[in-house]
Amino acid sequence: MRGQVSRKTVFGFIGPAVIGLAVVGIAPLLYAVWTSLHFYNLTKLKRVEFIGLENYMTVLTDGVFWQAMGRTFFLLGTALPLQIALGLMIALVLHQPGLTLIKTLCRLSLVLPMATTYAVVGLLGQVMFNQKFGVVNQLLGGADINWIGDPENAFAMIIFWDVWQWTPFVALVLLAGLTMVPGEVEEAARLETKSKWTVLRYVQLPFLLPGLVAVLILRTADTLKLFDMVFTLTRGGPGSSTEFISLMIQRVGFRGFDQGLASAQAIILLIITIILAQIYIRVFYKEV
Amino acid sequence: MKTLRNLLGATAVTSLMATGAIAGGHGWSLADAAKPYAGTTVDVVFLLRPGYEAIEAMLPAFEEETGIKVNIIKHPYENALGEQVRDFVAGGDLDIALIDLVWMGNFAENEWVLPLADVQAKFPDIMDPALDIDDFFPLVLNAFGGWNDTIYGLPVDNYSGLMFYNRCMLEDAGFDGPPSTWQELKDVYGPALTKDGKYAFALQSKRNETQSADSFARVLWPFGGSFLDENFRSNLLSEESQAGLQFRQELMQYMPDGIVAYDHAETVNAFSQGDVAMITEWSAFYSSVVSADTSKVADCVEIAPEPMGPAGRKPALGGFSMAVASQADEAEQAAAYLFIQWATSAENAREYLERGGVPARQSVYEQDGLEAFKFVPALVESWQDGVPEFRPRFAEWPEITEIVQEWGTKMMLGEVTTVEGAEEIGTRMEAVLESAGYYSGDKPLAQ
Amino acid sequence: MTSTRSLWTQIALLVVIIMVCVFPFYWMVTTSLKTQIVALEAPPVWVFEPTLDNYREALFEDGVLRTLLNSLVIAVSTTVLALILGVPAAFALARFEFRGKKDLWFWFITNRMVSPIVLALPFFLIARNLGLLDKHITLILIYLTFNLPIVIWIVTDQFRGIPYDLDEAARLEGASQFTIMRKICLPLAMPGVAVSAIFSFIFSWNELMFGLILTRTEAKTAPAMAVSFMEGYNLPYGKIMATSTLIVIPVLIFALIASKQLVRGLTMGAVK
Repeated sequence: MRGQVSRKTVFGFIGPAVIGLAVVGIAPLLYAVWTSLHFYNLTKLKRVEFIGLENYMTVLTDGVFWQAMGRTFFLLGTALPLQIALGLMIALVLHQPGLTLIKTLCRLSLVLPMATTYAVVGLLGQVMFNQKFGVVNQLLGGADINWIGDPENAFAMIIFWDVWQWTPFVALVLLAGLTMVPGEVEEAARLETKSKWTVLRYVQLPFLLPGLVAVLILRTADTLKLFDMVFTLTRGGPGSSTEFISLMIQRVGFRGFDQGLASAQAIILLIITIILAQIYIRVFYKEV
Repeated sequence: MKTLRNLLGATAVTSLMATGAIAGGHGWSLADAAKPYAGTTVDVVFLLRPGYEAIEAMLPAFEEETGIKVNIIKHPYENALGEQVRDFVAGGDLDIALIDLVWMGNFAENEWVLPLADVQAKFPDIMDPALDIDDFFPLVLNAFGGWNDTIYGLPVDNYSGLMFYNRCMLEDAGFDGPPSTWQELKDVYGPALTKDGKYAFALQSKRNETQSADSFARVLWPFGGSFLDENFRSNLLSEESQAGLQFRQELMQYMPDGIVAYDHAETVNAFSQGDVAMITEWSAFYSSVVSADTSKVADCVEIAPEPMGPAGRKPALGGFSMAVASQADEAEQAAAYLFIQWATSAENAREYLERGGVPARQSVYEQDGLEAFKFVPALVESWQDGVPEFRPRFAEWPEITEIVQEWGTKMMLGEVTTVEGAEEIGTRMEAVLESAGYYSGDKPLAQ
Repeated sequence: MTSTRSLWTQIALLVVIIMVCVFPFYWMVTTSLKTQIVALEAPPVWVFEPTLDNYREALFEDGVLRTLLNSLVIAVSTTVLALILGVPAAFALARFEFRGKKDLWFWFITNRMVSPIVLALPFFLIARNLGLLDKHITLILIYLTFNLPIVIWIVTDQFRGIPYDLDEAARLEGASQFTIMRKICLPLAMPGVAVSAIFSFIFSWNELMFGLILTRTEAKTAPAMAVSFMEGYNLPYGKIMATSTLIVIPVLIFALIASKQLVRGLTMGAVK
């Protein structure tokens, strides 16, 4: 049968990658599990001691952890619909025929935000959203909005940058879906109805769905990972208004130096992520 | 100097005198002492602050004379503790620890730094007979460089909280001088100076060490409050502590919006731009606000001691010492000590001062020609009598400061009341202290 | 079919989209050419005399050049390593049948989603115990956690697209699987390999958290450097933007080269 090879051959090909990834990806996790079961404070390494599930109990009962988690999902809940709405609009505009040159230009510019170093996005945010010498307030007609220092505004600013950076991603994913619609089907539909909405809903949407699900899951994972941009922009502030889950764990582990507690938090985050990845794989890679 | 002797411990003083006697006061020179260590490289963390720029500018002379290379790794304050902790737990390259007074308990208890007496015993030949340790302000040496009656570091970048005020703005509003009490600042100066987009006051309160040290602690002490009572239980719900925290809430109406996002940079900048009439900031920022390059109000800047509260002056105290790292090898330790000794010496204090640093040497402030440094009288006054445990200096501070930062900011934002916030901090702080063993008697109640 | 009016709204929309995407970069570059005094001008000025001082200072006085080189060495090394390990694995996943294949896929995709902080904590402690902190190799290895899955995903996809008949023929002539991969399939899969290499480079180059936690001076990466300007009593905005520009330019160039495949890469092949 095709594809049947000896186990040795399989191992020869895939072994190095598996071992490599196990060393850097799994060994640390096992170590994190060990750490999470201990009192393990970097500034008190003299008294590392086994404390069982105490760290996990602390995480599960600590409002601060769940607030950060809630905040993370709130960000997702506000930014993602915006990204999908704007992304769909952009995709539909780009999907229309004609104006090739400017559309090519547009597609190329869409690539830029996605590739930008996340940390740089945050630094740019500091410069552009500064209350006094920031260009954003100037463009808003000399507004005097305190972006970085006000909890709600700071959150809005984070949403802005998340939308700026990832709407192009959504747009291009959806555009890829739109191009899958067979030309004749779309044309036939357009002859039958004048309503663009009807075409979108009944003809194009089925082709967009896989992309939308991919966007949903990947954006969820990326929001749970979100660190760089917020770290350089607000560091989680003011107060804890933009302290998302990854920032919070970083703070506990490397500013409070409580590696045990932070490891427990990280493991819980990992479990949530794995569930998410399960769903993703079920939806997409059935064929494997 | 009685306190100082106690704190140095008898051995340290004896050995110090002994080395002094051996060296005989003559014949000692930095160049000779450094000869065996020429070519050694010393790694040290510096902050992005004026005092460090001053040392950096003076450094070529030291390197030339000794042949020791000083490798400076610059970090913002907020990263400096994390960077150093990660280096020390990893047995890294740092040969000198730069220690904020609140980190001292940590560095000492982990034995990351050597007591001064040990360095002296180990390397008698590199001791400058002119070290004159009594010349340091005792309060400063004790608080910045000492832990549990042992001296580890020599004070290098030294701060006291001072009031910087804009004389021109105050005069325009009809004031001859700065407020002498916090109450006066709020009730009289606040309304008069807050108008036309300008504010009477700014209190740096960003959620990091600034929140707990510059903002939270600053309103606690003058009102008679404190973090802990004598049994190490939370004292934040006491009437005095609450009065201070409540005062801060009321004072916020005379501060710029978003004060919880103001770090030192923003506060100093707002003052330098003429947007804020008064700030209470570290002496270290003096050179920045009086320099025409960085300040629009350089000519209007005046300095006063921090205002008084019902419990007295109690200005903020902060600052850094440098200590020899135990992880360094012998040559590096000796070279590190030579550098520390040189950078904090009485001889170099004047130059350090003139280049923008704030030395902790009493002798330098007795010299003539210091009129240009307007902060000197207020500084000297505040170092006569300050609160060393302005922030508790024990090893648990890094955890506790995180708690204070979080809930202190929430108080300011009105997300919790001062009572609710104090309860939260109290519970969490006591949990930390409990697990550290203070309540079971495992650990002495030292801060 | 399209009326002139809707044509113009279309053009206007496209122009707005382009401007929103590009403006932050314009602002970054212009700010990087401002002196500190101009940069702090309120409201901000659009016309001014540009200076390259920020670049000179950042590159040669503050050591940004060295961190850029570190980033380059690390990103290139980790990419090469990911290809060496990943391409054969991709070949096996595309061509062979074996038990546990599904679990392997699952594991690879999970790696794409795990927050770096989950690994950063234990990796720091391990690197500390092994004396590997602040070494290039540490970042080169840990970046494999996201590079290797990317390479495997994209290249597997590419291998699948190559008709079986080709290697069947070679096999009948007695070629080993390794020879088939190297001589027949790899040349045909080169576009996918190139794209995955570009991705691997971009992700490694952009990474901040590991760089921040696992390096100090010797192996410090450029993004970690840019962040370390962010405090102090006098924020050097021009210099921060100059450093940012230097960091961003290479990734933008690479991203534009791979623009057609960018979406596929980001979704790990889920969207064709």
